Amino acid sequence: MVINKKKVFVLGLDSVPPELLFDRWLNQLPNIKRLISQSRYGEMKSTIPAITCPAWMSMMTSADPGRLGIYGFRNRSSYDYDGLSFANSKAVNVDTVWGILSKMGKKVVVIGVPMTYPPQPVNGCMVTCFMTPDTKGEYTYPPELKDEVEAVSNGYMLDVDEFRSDNKESTLKEIYAMTHKRFRLTRHFIRSKEWDFFMMVEMGPDRIHHAFWKYFDQDHPKHVPGSKYQDAILNYYKYLDEEIGETFKLFNDDTMVLIVSDHGAKKMVGGICINEWLLQNGYLKLVHYPAEVTPFNKLIVDWENTMAWGEGGYYGRLFMNVKGREPKGVIAPQHYEHVRNELIKKLEDLRDENGNTIHTKVFKPEDIYSECNGIPPDLIVYYGDLFWRSIGSVGNGTIWADENDTGPDDANHSQYGIFIMQNGSDKEGVRLHGVTLYDIAPTILDYMRVKIPENMEGKVIA
Amino acid sequence: MNKGFTVWFTGSSGSGKSAISQLLGKKLKEWGRNVEILDGDVVRTNLCQGLDFRKQDQDIYAQRIAFVCKLLTRNGVAVISVAISPYQESRENARKEIGNFVEVYTKCPTEVCAQRDVEGMHQKALKGEIQDFPGASDPYEEPLKPDLVVETDKETAEESTNKIINKLIELGYLNPKGSVTHVYSSEEEDKIKERLSRLGYI
Repeated sequence: MVINKKKVFVLGLDSVPPELLFDRWLNQLPNIKRLISQSRYGEMKSTIPAITCPAWMSMMTSADPGRLGIYGFRNRSSYDYDGLSFANSKAVNVDTVWGILSKMGKKVVVIGVPMTYPPQPVNGCMVTCFMTPDTKGEYTYPPELKDEVEAVSNGYMLDVDEFRSDNKESTLKEIYAMTHKRFRLTRHFIRSKEWDFFMMVEMGPDRIHHAFWKYFDQDHPKHVPGSKYQDAILNYYKYLDEEIGETFKLFNDDTMVLIVSDHGAKKMVGGICINEWLLQNGYLKLVHYPAEVTPFNKLIVDWENTMAWGEGGYYGRLFMNVKGREPKGVIAPQHYEHVRNELIKKLEDLRDENGNTIHTKVFKPEDIYSECNGIPPDLIVYYGDLFWRSIGSVGNGTIWADENDTGPDDANHSQYGIFIMQNGSDKEGVRLHGVTLYDIAPTILDYMRVKIPENMEGKVIA
Repeated sequence: MNKGFTVWFTGSSGSGKSAISQLLGKKLKEWGRNVEILDGDVVRTNLCQGLDFRKQDQDIYAQRIAFVCKLLTRNGVAVISVAISPYQESRENARKEIGNFVEVYTKCPTEVCAQRDVEGMHQKALKGEIQDFPGASDPYEEPLKPDLVVETDKETAEESTNKIINKLIELGYLNPKGSVTHVYSSEEEDKIKERLSRLGYI
């Protein structure tokens, strides 16, 4: 009998754009450059929305957000107006790669993959993600693994504490500390645990992009020339390169290594206050307009005269107030499509303060997903093709904001992340096009000679 | 394992039980639940063959259905029972037998039910072809304390179904995708909210 000893190691780097890694800084990243020279690699299309949750889970299940019924960090759990509930590991009803492999008796290690809290049983071990409340509670499987995690990392960090802050020194220090701890733990587990599949996700790139993008990007509207932070992101990439070099020394030829990111990043030009826009266009009515900037869930909405409301975030979500669906719905079901199309047309014609179109894209969930489980938003909006973020709060008196309502933020997400795949047989670097994050799960299973579930939406990367 | 429960529809023939139950079954499947619909007509031709609409037979009918619902419910299934079940006492017995029991009354004026008369039951009862037919030739005892009333002459089937889904969430039987009410305590949820706010996700 031939025993299949093929292993897969997946390093997830949240939010790495191909433009920076492959095109701008590769020559300064010797370990990644060497890896790429023996890999298939390229840009990788993310989910819509291109956001951490659900993107990592779509990657690891090869199921789109509609099939997962997970449209963002928070989702509607009923048609009431009570706001949104947090997604979590128990909401994932499609098999993950590590779930499939666990059932087959293969050993897995999973560290920090978003939407793994609360920890679920696996045939191996798991450390949960940044959506874990804190490290005082249970965040490992098995629970007794926690002591080892804390000892090896000298106090595990789920995420940085200060991120949307003007205290850049503190943010930078925390990002490095978090990344260092996670790689240290990863190398310890690579050496000490039995595994066929290993995956670790590091959130540091995402955090540093949001906090420091304006310092290096001369096209950023808030660019600060000559700042001492102008190389902050590049230096962090160099540091990542060192950690990757140290880690990849531990593998043999039977290990396929993948470096993947859930989405990319781009400069943030500004914010669109969607609820201000809906107010100005007569779709939303408030009992009182607030005296100061107020989160949407703190406003008193005149629901009986409201047709739509919006949620903030890196992308926008619009919900419509439909008769017979929402408690005080006003849009008759037979007029639903008409109103929805009217909203799309108007949103796609959104302008900046100077009257220039910003190329907003609006998606109907049923057009982009194979099915729509749970309660999808009625519309998904990429303001200014994701150069603009969505702002849900009201009180600015204008639809345009140059400051985010949740603190300083320089970057938004972009649709394309990266993948690098080295499986021991690649002797030269080949840049591929057309890869999507749905392709990662079937590619892993194929390499490990495991039957690919028929409903996986991606294809094996050739 | 998911927590099993039985949605026990009660209401006159033509009050919309079957239409809503089909939609409810579809939605519960979308929520990832295993669903069994025990529809009155199907049950009558199998489990309850030979029983008619006399009170004694109606009671036996309800007992048998309740027994099956109990077995399925305790094994985590989302069960939907669709029968007129006209008597308060037999519904109360079913509630005791099953435990996780959600009584949904499909309220609809008799004349509207008669107008709908999808299966021609009212006509048959009026012609004397069916004896003791509840809501026509025999009384229908309205539920005293149903868990939910859906007014099917005023609501669409979609609206009634959503009300039932919301009730199931409220009662803790349904854990919809994206919901974390059973995962995070309120203190933990506050911590997560604070963190995600700082990160700009909220």
